[in-house]
Amino acid sequence: MALSCHSALKEIKGSTDFTFALAGNPNVGKSSIFNRLTGMGVVTANYPGKTVELNLATTNFKDQRIGIIDLPGSYALGAVSEDQWVARRAIFDCKPDVAIMILDATNLARNLYMLIQFIDLGIPIVAALNLIDEAEKRNILIDSGELSRLLGIPIVKTIATTGSGLDELIQQAVDTAKNKTGISYSLHYGDDIETNIKKLEEFLMPYNFGINPRALSIMLLENDSEFIELVGKHENGKSIIEETNKISREIEELHREKTPLRIARERHGLAGSIASQVQGDVKPIPSDKIWAYTTSPLTGIPLLIGVLAIIFSFLFYGGNWLSTFFSDQWATYVSPVIDGAVYYVFGSGIIGKIFVWGFDAGILAALAVGIPYVLTFYFMLAFLEDSGYLNSVAFLTDRLMHKFGLHGRAIIPLVAGAGCNVPAIIGTRVLTTMRERTIASTLITLIPCSARTAVILGAVSLFVGWKPAVAIYLIIFALVFLVGAGLNKIMPGKSTGLVMEMFPFRMPMMSNILKKTWYRFKDFVFVAFPIVLVGSMVLGGLYETGYLWKLASPLSPVVEGWLGLPAVAGLTLIFAVLRKELALQLLVTLAVVMYGGGAKDLLLFMTPAQLFVYALVNTIYIPCVATIAVLGRELGWKRAFGIMAFTITLAILIGGIASRIIGYYHLL
Amino acid sequence: MEADTPRIEEYLESIYKLQLEQHPVSTSRLAEHLKLSPPSVSEMVKKLANKGLINHTGKGVCLTEEGGRMAKKVVRRHRLSERLLTDILGFKWDEVHEEACRLEHAISPEMEDRIAQSLGNPKTCPHGHPIPDKDGSFIKEKVRPLSQLKANEKAIIVNVFEEDPKMLQYLASLGLIPDVCVRVEEVAPFGGPLIVCVSGSRYALGREVASKIKVK
Repeated sequence: MALSCHSALKEIKGSTDFTFALAGNPNVGKSSIFNRLTGMGVVTANYPGKTVELNLATTNFKDQRIGIIDLPGSYALGAVSEDQWVARRAIFDCKPDVAIMILDATNLARNLYMLIQFIDLGIPIVAALNLIDEAEKRNILIDSGELSRLLGIPIVKTIATTGSGLDELIQQAVDTAKNKTGISYSLHYGDDIETNIKKLEEFLMPYNFGINPRALSIMLLENDSEFIELVGKHENGKSIIEETNKISREIEELHREKTPLRIARERHGLAGSIASQVQGDVKPIPSDKIWAYTTSPLTGIPLLIGVLAIIFSFLFYGGNWLSTFFSDQWATYVSPVIDGAVYYVFGSGIIGKIFVWGFDAGILAALAVGIPYVLTFYFMLAFLEDSGYLNSVAFLTDRLMHKFGLHGRAIIPLVAGAGCNVPAIIGTRVLTTMRERTIASTLITLIPCSARTAVILGAVSLFVGWKPAVAIYLIIFALVFLVGAGLNKIMPGKSTGLVMEMFPFRMPMMSNILKKTWYRFKDFVFVAFPIVLVGSMVLGGLYETGYLWKLASPLSPVVEGWLGLPAVAGLTLIFAVLRKELALQLLVTLAVVMYGGGAKDLLLFMTPAQLFVYALVNTIYIPCVATIAVLGRELGWKRAFGIMAFTITLAILIGGIASRIIGYYHLL
Repeated sequence: MEADTPRIEEYLESIYKLQLEQHPVSTSRLAEHLKLSPPSVSEMVKKLANKGLINHTGKGVCLTEEGGRMAKKVVRRHRLSERLLTDILGFKWDEVHEEACRLEHAISPEMEDRIAQSLGNPKTCPHGHPIPDKDGSFIKEKVRPLSQLKANEKAIIVNVFEEDPKMLQYLASLGLIPDVCVRVEEVAPFGGPLIVCVSGSRYALGREVASKIKVK
């Protein structure tokens, strides 16, 4: 369940003896360490409007309760990207007793950059030299004692995959937390930049902005938008900013480059010199020959198509098979029990029937989507993420996705949408801004999932022919393209340029993947269940009370007049919100009810043109109640309703146009 | 030697460097770089234009062929001086710029030759900038966007142009800053991103981002 960060941080701080924040660059094994240290009781929390999450958990260590906050992986502690912002905000909000920095021993210099920023903040730090086994395999030998001496912090060698060194790491963190008053750092940049930092630091001495003056001095000189704003609000803000600008100009004159760049250069220089003092000559990373095939266009693109095909067919065939199997089992074993229990409690009147809609059909709807599709997809996604392949995919497809204002990472959720929209929308978490996630989620809702494909096949392909069925797909793809390009134009903001680290291949750890899959699935279950339950009961109520039939006449101007469909078909479209393939099943059922058994052949009941329009509308308008639930959870209800309204309008519009074009040219 | 020579040389050198990022160079940018007031700069610009060393258009100034030759000589002397200061006299590389600014105007052609010889004709200054050839035949610092590099090409970042300071800082935190050596490892087809190696890490950079990083 998503909590607000403020309350979650406060609670964890209040209920434990010590809190430690786990920080580090992406892909250094930070989440493996987090998973090793903590159990299943992980809580995720969001800052409002931010998509990057914090994971929080508590653990026991030698009779002490320890709260652990897993910060998002980031390369620095600036305010320039969401992951950096969230990591930094959490540090300031929670003021952890110790920051545990996880370093990648195979790429020490780059990893030290953020560690130096932490040291600049002046907070207690313990560092883990992780992946030490991989470093040794590559002949990178690090003198951790010397590194500890140079940095002035405890360093522990760890191997996250086996858990080696983790006890000592926590022990060091506890020891550091116990006497953190004595902590002072003596790490320094070049003399002239230090003089300038000191100058501003002294100027800042009389003020209290909740952060030590040296750290603030550096942040201001780095032109950090957030702290400049904070300081600017102070009554003496103007003079502080003026002093900052004056000192910044001095630095720029001396070094002939912008101050933030100069400081970054100093920090890289310091990181590089420390790294070279504690390790021998590091040869450049041997580019992983086999892994390079994933990004080389000649081999990478066929491979990508293969992987996407596997994901699609897993969801489409595997998911379908599981879903049918699951539904059958449910109908045979679970359904009678639930129905019996509900009728026993509520009687077999309308109330009882409504509850059966909710607790039988509703829960089945959520599970029949959840287990076969969502769980399968999460598992595959976690595997792709952990292996580093997702980044190769992003690299190859970045150009195409840019047309939609997205970048390469969006391709996986978009393709997954063809299996099931629900996991696909949650999968948009691989995108970093709300703008990107909104565009991607809107496009996903337009992509025909397996249920809608079943309707297209069952209604159009079977009764009208395969060409019109293909035409529906072509129309949908054109729509996806137009809507994507259009949203990119009209949505405020612009797409962020792709800047992403390419990781060497790392064998994913099954335990990590399973845990990740489970957390995400749990989240889905908690969110989707109540909504699907209530949605089903509302629908059931309309049906059982007979109000549903009364809806047919107000709907008829749209359904009959504009779309040219029988009014009763409009009702099935409403029902399909529960599960999209219900549209077809109900259509057949209703047809039988209204026109007798012969109507099983839908052509006796609807014309080919009507079937075509019907399948088209069913495909475009807002997918299903589970998708709505997930949209609301992931993007907020305002955006979810926006997307719903948009797709319903689009469906009616396109359906009507299609109906007229077909009629005018006598196409079907 | 005219009394004005050091000042002219200083101007030409500045215009030469600024031309790498902006062409033509606006006089306000030039004034900022030289730390002089705009009026005094525009006066000197007129003088240089009269001497045929620069062309002055409404948009700004650029070096003529003659001006370019002179500028390169100054740049050569400046960068050789820097090398002399670091390699022979043991200055630190961040201390030599100011010293070299004074030296560059005082070095005679003979001395220039001797310095170059005794240093073994170095190709770059301590900061990694190339030292132009002696005969004025300009080894052109071919500055181009990183996005034009092919797979397996190496280059040095000259500057990072980005209107968005946040992106600039983000790139800086990853080590993509001027004077850093980068190697392009892979280029995605159809104008897609590039994989760039910089100090032991590999990053994928989108076209838009890569086109804003100028390299040589």
